[in-house]
Amino acid sequence: MEPFQTIRQGIIERYSVLVDNPTEFAEAIHKPLEQSFRINTLKGDKENILEQLKNYDSEITEVPWNDNAYVSQLNNLGSSLEHFVGQIYIQELTSMIPPLIVKDVIDNNTILDCCAAPGSKTTQIAGMMQNRGHIIANDSRHARLKSLRGNLDRLGVTNATVTLRDFKSFPNTEADLYLVDAPCSSEGTIRKKNAIARMWKEKDYKRFTKLQKGLLNKACEMAPSGSTIVYSTCTFSPEENERVISEIIDNHPVKVENIGINGLKTSPGITEWNGKRYNKEVEKCMRIWPHHNDTDAFFVARLEKC
Amino acid sequence: MLRILDSERISLIQEYCLERFGINQEKLENYRWYIGSKNRIYIGPEELKRIKPESIGLCVFRLDKTPKPTTNFLQLFGRYITKNIIELDDNETINYCSGKDLNPERKLDVVPGFVMVRHKDRFLGCGHWNGSLIKNQIPKSRFCKINFL
Repeated sequence: MEPFQTIRQGIIERYSVLVDNPTEFAEAIHKPLEQSFRINTLKGDKENILEQLKNYDSEITEVPWNDNAYVSQLNNLGSSLEHFVGQIYIQELTSMIPPLIVKDVIDNNTILDCCAAPGSKTTQIAGMMQNRGHIIANDSRHARLKSLRGNLDRLGVTNATVTLRDFKSFPNTEADLYLVDAPCSSEGTIRKKNAIARMWKEKDYKRFTKLQKGLLNKACEMAPSGSTIVYSTCTFSPEENERVISEIIDNHPVKVENIGINGLKTSPGITEWNGKRYNKEVEKCMRIWPHHNDTDAFFVARLEKC
Repeated sequence: MLRILDSERISLIQEYCLERFGINQEKLENYRWYIGSKNRIYIGPEELKRIKPESIGLCVFRLDKTPKPTTNFLQLFGRYITKNIIELDDNETINYCSGKDLNPERKLDVVPGFVMVRHKDRFLGCGHWNGSLIKNQIPKSRFCKINFL
């Protein structure tokens, strides 16, 4: 069996117990994802850009739960003129979710994007803000800043400041929204070609959990009362999702908020995994399974600092 | 190290934008202006107080003998530009995006100097017109083989 097949099979075996329909889940895991993108309204009018794109891709389809997300039948939109001039951004549909659940707090405010590279959510938020307000786009790795800076430039973002710091030692900074799109095992991206290189072991999950708790812990410490914290990953693993949230709400004055997106089928966070029970509040978190909306897998939680 | 740009040089750039490209000053008013290394000019949000940034906002000009607009700037403000525009056809666009200079044989109604290069209503970026050649000013990192336009 090919290594990639083995990883797929491992994921199916590990998580089938959590899903409503294991057969559909297994089928979805084996089905490649189509290319999705959003339109950058900093560089033009949505309808006009879409019309231009339809000149060479008449099969573009809209996404029912996101009014600025599209799926293309082409797999190389990166070589389109619209991409070159920054009118479109190729992005997984699930990756667009965190900004959608904080529409009410991003207008003209200060946003701290703790793990910003390569800038998918940073540029999405900048577009939603129409370049007003202030985004602090931080990443801990110098090598990743090139892609972040390149995307900010291409999309014409003027309201972002790029910083290079390990977020755990980031100076206390007041913001209205802290976005923690944490590094993770990325198992949820398995439908993308060569998305992950190997099947993770228990010790890998532990390593990610420690890193994620450190990042979210820091965001919760520096967040002022009333501010919003969003935590997201692209993995199925409860160790990196509900467990992290459960331990954070047990140790910080934060509450989990109910979230939902019209037209997007989601599942609640799980409260028990491998014999460990989590705080019941994690049910308010949002899980997206690949077979529900024909997407990657994703996890997102919205917290409010009390 | 970025510093706040003095008002004299902000005015100089704004006047250049109006004179060279017809961009109204009001379109450039609501920004903070910074100057960094190699006389690069940025527009961006306010400075952070407690942390040194890697970069702020968008690099829009480089100050030399005259201001040189960046491709970033012309792509973003292209919709406000009314003069010194060169319109390219499909083949020229593909060549320009791949980094080539162009030698158009038609007559162009532009004054020598920096120009905005355009394909229909998509703003490709910066070029330098010397009367016979459009010298490509797109950064190497942005060169791209265009398959769809």
